[in-house]
Formats: sequence, C-alpha cells, structure tokens
Amino acid sequence: MVALSLPLIRDAVIFASLLTMLSTGLTLTYMTTRVPNFAHGEFATMNVYLNLALVQVLGLSPYLGVVPSFFFGGLVALLLYLAVLKPLLDRGANYVILMIATIAYDMILISIINIIADYLNRVYKIQTRLFQLKGLDLDLLGQPMIFTVAPALSLIIITVLYFFLNKTKFGIAMRAAIENPSLAEVIGININLTYAFSWFISGGLAGLAGALLPLYMTCNPDIGVRLLISIFAASIVGGLTNIYGAFLGGLLIGLAETLGTGYLSIMVGPWIVPYRPVIPLSLMLLTLLFAPRGLTGVDWRKLLRREAEA
Amino acid sequence: MTIPEVFFIDLLTIVGLFVIISMSLNLEFGYAGVPNFGKLLAVAGGAFFVGAVPGRIMMFILSPGSGLDFVQNNIEAVMLLNQVFASDALASIIYLVFSLVGAAVAGGVLGYVASYPAIRLRGDYLAITLLAMAEILRVIADNWPEFIGGSMGVRIPDPFRWVGGETRALAVAVTILAVVAIVFVYLELVLRSPLGRALRAMRDEELSAEVYGKDVARLRTKTLMVGCAIAAVGGALYSFLTASVSARDFNRVTHTFWPWVMVIVGGAGNNVGALVGAGIFVTLRKFITFYKSYFEPFVPFDVVWLEYLLLGLALIVVLLYRPEGLVPERPTKTLRRKELLEIAERVRSEASSK
Repeated sequence: MVALSLPLIRDAVIFASLLTMLSTGLTLTYMTTRVPNFAHGEFATMNVYLNLALVQVLGLSPYLGVVPSFFFGGLVALLLYLAVLKPLLDRGANYVILMIATIAYDMILISIINIIADYLNRVYKIQTRLFQLKGLDLDLLGQPMIFTVAPALSLIIITVLYFFLNKTKFGIAMRAAIENPSLAEVIGININLTYAFSWFISGGLAGLAGALLPLYMTCNPDIGVRLLISIFAASIVGGLTNIYGAFLGGLLIGLAETLGTGYLSIMVGPWIVPYRPVIPLSLMLLTLLFAPRGLTGVDWRKLLRREAEA
Repeated sequence: MTIPEVFFIDLLTIVGLFVIISMSLNLEFGYAGVPNFGKLLAVAGGAFFVGAVPGRIMMFILSPGSGLDFVQNNIEAVMLLNQVFASDALASIIYLVFSLVGAAVAGGVLGYVASYPAIRLRGDYLAITLLAMAEILRVIADNWPEFIGGSMGVRIPDPFRWVGGETRALAVAVTILAVVAIVFVYLELVLRSPLGRALRAMRDEELSAEVYGKDVARLRTKTLMVGCAIAAVGGALYSFLTASVSARDFNRVTHTFWPWVMVIVGGAGNNVGALVGAGIFVTLRKFITFYKSYFEPFVPFDVVWLEYLLLGLALIVVLLYRPEGLVPERPTKTLRRKELLEIAERVRSEASSK
C-alpha cells in the first residue's frame, strides 16, 4: 500500500469540494426544469475569467472575487432560463429541444469566454491560457488557504440549502413546485419565479466554484467540457433528483477521480494521468447499469434487510 | 484546373462529408428522436479505425518482410504502400472499400457499446453518456501513441494515388458524393418502410409505440448502430481526403455541434433538410473564412470565436421561431400519389351519391 501523501489528499479534498458546488447546482435545475444543463461547465469557466480579470486588472484578492462571481454566474444562468428555456417551455418544447438549446447556449458562452481570454491577453498582457493563480493564495497554518476555504464553503452551501428548502416559505414553495407543478400553481405558488430562482442559485454556485478553480488547477478556456463529465457523473451517481445525493456524488467522484489518478500514477506510471476522465465516466456507467436512480434512489434499508436474511 | 473549379470541388467535398454526418444524425434524432450528443464518437471512431487498422494489415500483406511498424515508422511505411497503390488501381479500390466497410462496422460497434448502459433510460441519460464517451475516445486517441500516433497523428496510404495529380481532388469528391447518394437512397427507403414508421411512432409517443408491441430499447440500439456506422464512414472519408488521421482534428464543436445545427436549421425528420442545412452551413462558413481577414485588424480577439457566437445564436433563434427548420418534415405516403388520388376520388363520389 502506498502511503497517504498530503498534497494528494489536499488536491482531492479541494476538487471534491468544488465539484459538490457544481453538481448540486446542476441537480437543482434538473429537478425544477427537467433538463440536464450542458452549459453548466461553462458557467464555471466564465467566472474563472471574471475572477482572473478582477485579480489581475483590479488587483483584488482571489477570495474577494467570489462575491461578484456568485452574482455573475447566477445572471448567466438566469439569462439561459428566461431568454431561452422559458420561451421554449411555453411553446411546449420537449426535453430534447431544451437540451439542444443548452448546448447552443454553451457554444455562445465558449465563444464569449475565448473572446474575453483573447482580449485580456492582448490588451492587458495577462496570461489567459494554461494559467493558475496558486501563487496568489494566502497561507493558513502552513497550508494554502483554499484547502480550508473550499471544504468550508461547500459545507456552508449544503447547510444553507438545507435550511432554505426546509425552513423558509419560499424554499418549501420551491419543493412543492418541483414535486407537483400544477398543484403548486393551484395554491398560488409562482412556479416561474421558483424555477428562475433555482437557475440563479445553480449559476451562482457554479460561479463560486469557477472563481476558486484557478487557485487549485491549471485553467484554460476549454476546461468546461472536462468539468462537465465530472459534474454529470457526480449528479448521476447522486441520483439527479436529490441535491444531497448530488453533494454526496460530488464528494465521491471528486475523491475517486483525484485519489484514483494519483495512486495509479504512482503505481503504474505517470502515463496514466491524462486518462483521468475515465474514472468519473466508469463510475457513472456503473451507476447507470446497476442503480440508474443513483445512490439516493436505492432503498438501502430493504437491501440491507435482504442481505441479512440471505 | 482553374481557381473557381478548385473552390467548387473543395466546397462539394466538404458539403458531402457533412451531409453524410448530418443525415446520420437525422436518422437518429429526426426519425427516431434519439438525442445523440456524441456524434463525434462515431465520426472520430471511423477515422481512428482507418488510421489504426487498414494500414497495418496492408503492411502485413504487401511487404511482410520490411520490419517497419506502421505507426512508429509511419513515413517510410506510408511511402512504401503509396508506391504500390500508385500503379495498382485494383489494390487501391479494394483498400478503400475494405476501409470504409471496416469503419462502418467499427462505428456500429462503438454505437452499441457506448449506448448500452443508458439505452433503457430516458433520453437525457443517453445524451450525457454519449457525450462523455466521445470525449473519452478523443482523450485516449490523443494520449496513446501506439494507436494512431497520439497527438502527432499518422499519415495513411492514399487510395487515390493512382488517379494522380490534379484529378485526385475530383476523384475524392466523386467518391464522397457517391456515398452521399447511397446513404440518401437508403435512408429514404428506411423512412418509407414499416421500420421508418415505427421509429417515428417511437419519437412522437414512446408509450404508444410500446403499447403496440414495439421494443423501444431495441429500436434505439438499432438506430444508433446504423447512425454511428454511417457517421463513421463520413469520418473515414475525411481521413482519406487529408490522407492523415489525428485525434486533434476531431472535436465536439465541429463533429457534434455543427451537425446538430445543420439538422435543426435544415429541418429535422427529412433528408432534404439535412442536405440543405449542410449546404447552407458549409457555404456560409467558407465565405466567413474567406472574408475574416478583413475584420482581423479591427478586433482585439480571434475572429473565429464570433463564428461560434453566431452559430449558437442562429440555433436558438431557429428553435424559438422556426422549430420545424427550413424544410419541414412532410408525412410520407404509404401508397403512390396516383392511387391516393383515386381513393380520394372514390370516397368523394360515394359521399356525393348518398
């Protein structure tokens, strides 16, 4: 057995925390609008560049950029819902058309991200391709601050979401709108508002993750699609209809991906590192084959009872 | 050949390639409603097959004693094979046909394997799985040098060498257009067959199709296998056009997103729509590429990205305001036009006599 190494565990914890923010957001919009959002990776990438601009042009600390990134990410997502998905839903479009629309929006975002990257590079002479901001991270107890901030933020988010969905009136209304839209509408819940809000939250969480990404890994305008595989894998492992499942899935995929690649590269050789996305893909496929409703869709109690009887 | 001729042949070639790919997507999405978001998987799969397999087999058959490895000694190996092909038309054609058939089989197998985990679930799971599979195939080809030379790619022997010189481009164009014609006729026949009607029933109302005894998962698998086989032939033809295969040539935008734009803009559910969509799209792109150097000095970014922006916007606008596309799908007639008119006449006369 290879000994645990601190940098590897640190990487795994940071990535898993960031992934939970992305997968909970994706799952939230899937629960409300019933469409897997193929532009979710780009919501994060967009904010990688917003934060880069704030840090390098205005000289802000990368951690301060988290706040505008939340709102910007939220607005980018809200625009997708209000300008594209809502009108399509009103016309009775099915989920395939909605998926295509999110891919089209994804292309628009890719284009804008690249234009911003080119612009920052040519006008402000900032390195915008294959860059990272690790050097600007602060030091906390001899470790980079992101090692504490990412997991803490991830826990805060899931706690806040829990209280929002269970203790506030609007949150309960949102759950009602998810469970039975027509019934919720009958008792006076504004479904459109709850759906729009879920998109804002989803984009905002992706924005938070995006703002913190450059502190952890090398970023490039095309990281969106690589993230997307992990995000979908995390959400599907979590069941796609349960945000706590998505949180769990994010942790699981994030840890498996990072630790798996790390240990395999020590044991087999560094040539295996580029094949990293195979890990989330295989976990996703296993889930689809054996428990298509995800970890939270399995009736664990029944399964355990059956095991005990056998 | 004059410059306009070269331009025209080049245009026809590229349009032909994209017509093949978008017709395959039309079969999957337009006929059967299967959201294949991993079109790249089959296109790249076909091209990678051509890069990895036929060259090795040809080396084994034609010069077994040379000791050259097709990928490691790629340049020497390809030169050796090209010398043979330059004088032997028959061997070239056999090589070409074998490669295309092989690519189709490889595409079908890829389609089956990649869709298997999600074929019984709602279409969005299938879309996600196919998209992820396509990305993984690209990652593998890009990082595994023994397969098709990794990020460097490989050259492949040229089956059009015996045609030689300037007419080569014409020969490639004719071959591609011939494949377009075959695929077009085949898909039109499928559309008019009971299978075609079953596919559209599945697309319009899955539950009803199931009630009438159609095995939806099987129909989907079949559709994806055939669709992927056709797309793989498209990918294989692309590699013969450039006489090389490289993982870097294949990406999600060109080989998944563009065909979707073509099918949706042209009109899903009919092959003429796919043809029109691909035609308009490729011609427009050619002009954009041609004129973009005029804009280059005025903007502080690469003009290429504006193209993505325009295409994304165009797709959303079409989805919102003309979801049936430029050429809308028409109901297919199960009888000849003449017979239908006769029946209509009979019904009318019966009604008037009453």
